[in-house]
Amino acid sequence: MSQKNIDRRSFVKKMATAAAMTAAASMFPGIIFASEQIENLPNGGNLEWKKGPCRFCGVGCGILVGVENGKAVAVKGDPNSFVNKGLLCVKGYHQTMCIQAKDRLTYALVKKNGSYVKTPISEALDIVANKMKETIEKHGKDAVAMYTSGQSTIPEGYVASKLMKGAIGTNNLDCNARLCMASAVTGFLTTFGADEPMGCYEDINHADYFITWGNNMAEMHPVLFSRMLEQKNNRGAKIIDFATRTTRSSMAANKSILFEPQTDLAVANAICYEIINNGWVNKLFVEKHCNFSKGSTNIGYGTEDKFKFKDKPVGINFEEFKKFLEDYTPEKVAKYSKVSVKDIKYLANIYGDPNKKVVSYWCMGMNQHTRGTWINNLVYNIHLLTGKISQPGNGPFSLTGQPSACGTAREVGTFTHKLPKGVVMNEKHRRLAAKIWKVPYENIPSKPTYHATEMFRAVDRGDIKFIWTQVTNPLVSLPKTSRYRPGMEKDSCFVVVSDVFPTPTSDVADVILPASWHIEKGGLYGNSERRTQHWDKMIEGPGDTTPDAWMTIEVAKRMGYGDLFPYSEENHVEEIYNEYIQFHEGAKHGMAPLEVLKKESGAIWPYVNGKSTQWRFNAKYDPACSNGEDFHFYGKPDGKAVIWQRPYEPAAESPDQEFPFWLNTGRVIEHWHTGSMTRRIPVLHKAMPHAYVEFHPDDAKTLGIRNGEKVKVTSRRGSCTLPASINQRGLPTKGQVFVPFFDESMLINDVTLDAFCPISKEPDYKKCAVKIERV
Amino acid sequence: MKRLFLIVLFALLMFAVIYIWSKSYYTSQEEAYIELSIDTEQAFIPSEKGVFERSEYALDYAKMPEDKDHQRTLKTYYNNRAFHGAPPSIPHPVIDDLTIGGKSCLKCHQNGGFVSKFKAYAPVVPHPEKVNCRQCHVTENTKGVFKNYTKQDFYVPIEDNAAFVGAPPVIPHQIQMHENCLACHAGPAAPKEIRVIHPERSNCRQCHVVNNKELKDIGNFIR
Repeated sequence: MSQKNIDRRSFVKKMATAAAMTAAASMFPGIIFASEQIENLPNGGNLEWKKGPCRFCGVGCGILVGVENGKAVAVKGDPNSFVNKGLLCVKGYHQTMCIQAKDRLTYALVKKNGSYVKTPISEALDIVANKMKETIEKHGKDAVAMYTSGQSTIPEGYVASKLMKGAIGTNNLDCNARLCMASAVTGFLTTFGADEPMGCYEDINHADYFITWGNNMAEMHPVLFSRMLEQKNNRGAKIIDFATRTTRSSMAANKSILFEPQTDLAVANAICYEIINNGWVNKLFVEKHCNFSKGSTNIGYGTEDKFKFKDKPVGINFEEFKKFLEDYTPEKVAKYSKVSVKDIKYLANIYGDPNKKVVSYWCMGMNQHTRGTWINNLVYNIHLLTGKISQPGNGPFSLTGQPSACGTAREVGTFTHKLPKGVVMNEKHRRLAAKIWKVPYENIPSKPTYHATEMFRAVDRGDIKFIWTQVTNPLVSLPKTSRYRPGMEKDSCFVVVSDVFPTPTSDVADVILPASWHIEKGGLYGNSERRTQHWDKMIEGPGDTTPDAWMTIEVAKRMGYGDLFPYSEENHVEEIYNEYIQFHEGAKHGMAPLEVLKKESGAIWPYVNGKSTQWRFNAKYDPACSNGEDFHFYGKPDGKAVIWQRPYEPAAESPDQEFPFWLNTGRVIEHWHTGSMTRRIPVLHKAMPHAYVEFHPDDAKTLGIRNGEKVKVTSRRGSCTLPASINQRGLPTKGQVFVPFFDESMLINDVTLDAFCPISKEPDYKKCAVKIERV
Repeated sequence: MKRLFLIVLFALLMFAVIYIWSKSYYTSQEEAYIELSIDTEQAFIPSEKGVFERSEYALDYAKMPEDKDHQRTLKTYYNNRAFHGAPPSIPHPVIDDLTIGGKSCLKCHQNGGFVSKFKAYAPVVPHPEKVNCRQCHVTENTKGVFKNYTKQDFYVPIEDNAAFVGAPPVIPHQIQMHENCLACHAGPAAPKEIRVIHPERSNCRQCHVVNNKELKDIGNFIR
């Protein structure tokens, strides 16, 4: 898509027409445009359009960046991308504007006697490498840690893993995707034995019903939501919003059903009960392709340091499962879920009707859950019992939050227990990694160490003496920052922060490394639908800014691991990717070669014989199916998916007399996560200048709180003062308040609780108890 | 034979009585249970809901041909407004001064359409639920003024509200009472300068955000 020396006016005109025509040709024959508007677009300039994925969410839209005289001046949707077909959201359109922020980190800063000193980058990297080496010599390998991101590129995650696990030999590597996707991963692994969704976004074009579980897609996955709306308007597909808060998505949905926080577990079981009780089970499918199992119960919440848990699965049969569900009749569940019997039966009816195609979508509502793995399992149960899975328009679809939570965190494996293929606990997987990395097999330790929350607890305890964070802002995004901020400020730990902008995390750093932004480096991202996307460097970064992968490589070289990192500065992205894809060779996870990714707007793995596999586990589409049946869940040794018996258990902390409100946290369409990028984009800042606390109008009335009034939200951990918001962006249920977490000057995570799902170790940001005071 | 028949009949009746009685007895032993009826109060957020209203017409708007001879412009749009965002006055005679909108104004202004008498398309009201139209919209019954006054020029933010060429323009006006974008930005009565080229994308605020959430200039984000 690169075209040079074309008059901007004619190009913009063409682009608008082309995008419109693509849309028109597929949907609206005979469409006519306000041609005068296009004629009146301003004149001048030469734009060159360069292809890449969007910097922000897990949808992974294709973007084209207009570059003029070496500067990024415009962004538009890539009409060739199957993800977004030329459409973006407001963040996507304005993304490149953040790099013009005046407080950009352009030089390395090293703290000397309490103040930051501008330092040449090579000197700063020397300091980092020496400090890391010194810490290992003095305190052992497990005293150093790296904390990366679901926004790291594939090469960045790969070299971090190779350095920590292969070269140094510690599993002290985890990433912020632990805070957003870990429950989805354990959900997939426990049910299917293979991570990541079986379907793809094309399901939207086929489904009759979209059921969103605790997921405000209109704001968080807006481009996909628009695709759903298109189907709703064009052919009457229906959107059912099942949530704890009324949002923009509920307003656009055909039906909105509200439930009491945490009771999604019970409602999912009630839906299964109805499906079985009414004889809607797809018996043939279940007999051929499913096993039944149960795990431990009363599994705890992980709020204490060094919490340990291991699930003990026991096989059961269908009758036992049926018996278990008797506790979850719609009548019983309606009493505490606050969902009416009618609505539960309505949902069950949709899933149970063999003639209706249903896709379930979810993201943080189900993942950031102290029983996150369970609720993921339970929604899979519904789809497995009815056999509505792995077919166009039928299936459960776990959406990711971050642009490469799949591509980097999950596929490269920047978690403490992961390797690029498999897990550290498995000897075969360790041997494969050692072979490709060319390190002695004994280098890779077989025991996982710290998951994200525990890693920062270890920093606080003084067990970790050196931590390097990349592409993430934990002191805004971790739960209970009221503990972890003082923890990171302690002198016992040397903190290195690589980032593009100063953040509350870089405020506590000993060394700040200036990172290149998205389009100032090349890279690869992998989105929610298993699509890998590549981009080339588009513009030069300012000052000493350096790609994160290259900084990791430079530190590795300075620590004496140069042989293991023989990459060149110009081509390291390609060299690393080509090394990395050896891990995934084969029909189950083969990655598209780089030539394909350079040419096309992404390709879906398993990429087999030059073709993307859109629906896994379905023999019609997936060449890895080998059992001769229609479906093959080859992630499990016996080729069968597991239907899990998972009960309802209460949240880690529920409202009581002293703290009478639920606190729910989340995002808004205008801002990306902790806002370090989007708040520096004037359009977005003006649209959403600060955080707020949302009330139900009745609660506000009882408390005597008016819109815009300052209110103090306090929990057992800390407090935060914000302006009240009533009847604006969203509407929490009675007894619940909602706060977006993007605002670093109103840190709601000082208030949240660091309880997590014992299986996935992912914290629950959606439920804790708070009290409200007027200020 | 007759006797046998009677015996069988009575025996059957006996069994029926026992069966029905026992069934009703056991049913009565079951715990009494009244299903909780929970108020499923319909939640409603005006600023969010409005955006999606009229989206059922979005496809029609997209297909509608442009009627270049009868389109409105921003100039005519502001002709009957005192300032940017003011309620427009009624630029045509009103026959019945007694009725409120539900019966008269909405006949033309709920969904719009061509009015041959005025050779123009009737603009669509973004808030048809507010039926007391003439609370805010008044007719112009004289061209004169009571005393001369200085006419204030007002700023019409249309030219510079996109961050760059091709960027989605921001919403340069307050959205209270104007939550429904398609009412003014789509269809034949929409002023040509602000008519959306893609009405079928009904989730407008996915790309277009308000630029004046705070009424005073809040400046850029500074740490």
